Amino acid sequence: MSSLQTTRTKDKPQPGRIGLVLPVNLRPLLGGWVNYDKGSTGIQRLEIDDWEGTPVVRAFGAGHPDPIDWGEVAGAAFADGVDGHHAVAFTATYHLDFATVLLAAYLNKRLLVVDAYSTFTDGSGRASYFQRDHLYLP
Amino acid sequence: MTALEYVRAEDRLPEETAPPGGALDPALLVGTWFATDKQAAGVVRLELRQQDGCLLVRAFGADPVQPNDWGEIEATAYGSSVAAVDAMAFSAMYDFGFLVTILAAYAKQGILVLDTFNTFTDASGRSNYFSREFFHR
Repeated sequence: MSSLQTTRTKDKPQPGRIGLVLPVNLRPLLGGWVNYDKGSTGIQRLEIDDWEGTPVVRAFGAGHPDPIDWGEVAGAAFADGVDGHHAVAFTATYHLDFATVLLAAYLNKRLLVVDAYSTFTDGSGRASYFQRDHLYLP
Repeated sequence: MTALEYVRAEDRLPEETAPPGGALDPALLVGTWFATDKQAAGVVRLELRQQDGCLLVRAFGADPVQPNDWGEIEATAYGSSVAAVDAMAFSAMYDFGFLVTILAAYAKQGILVLDTFNTFTDASGRSNYFSREFFHR
C-alpha cells in the first residue's frame, strides 16, 4: 500500500483506521438555528437540512420588517479529524449578484458559531468584512 | 443614487458614511505567526505579507522532521465592517491535488485564530475535517 499524502501530522489517520470509509454524520448540524442575539445585524436564522449526505444551508439575514431569505446552497460538512464521523463544522458559499459570502461555521458545545466572510463585487466601495454570529437550536 | 443591495443590516453603510473604497490596510495581519501550542499537529507557522496591494499567506504544516512549507498564495482580507479601512481577517484556499484546505482566520487582541476546513479529493477514505488553531507573533 502506498503511503498517504499529507500536509501536516493531522492528515494522518490512526494506525488501523485506514480504509474505514464512513460518511460524516450530519445530524449534529441539522435543524433550525436561531441567533442568540436578537439585535444582531448579521445572520438571524439558519436552516440546515440533509440532502443525501450533503448539508443544504438556508440563511436569513437581519432585515426589516422581515428577515431576508438568502435561498438555499449546498455546503460541505467536516468532522473533528480524519478519523471522525460526526460533523462539527460546515462551509457554504453564497454567490449573490452583488457579493460573495463564505459561511465558515463550527459547533462549540451547543452553539453554532457562524463566521461570514463577505466580499462585495458591485463596485460600491464597501469594504470586505468579517462578522461572527452565535446561533442555537431552540 | 441607487440604493445599495444587501442581505442583512450589516451590509448597509451607516448614514452619512462614504464607502471606504480601496484596499484594506493589512498591518494588523502581516508578519510571522507561530502556533501557541508547541506540540501542534496542524499549522505551525503562518507568514503574511503585502505585495502590490495583495495580501499573501504562506503556511507551514506540522511534520516530525521539519515544517512542511505549503507555498505562498494570495489571500482575501476583511475588515470588521463595510466602512472598515483596516484588515482584521483573511481567507485563502490551498489546493494540494489530494486535499483542498480553506483557511479562515481573524486577529483579535494580538492573537490570530485560524480555522481550517479540509476536504480530501484522493478517495483515501479520510474524513473531511475541521481544525481550530491559535497563533501569536
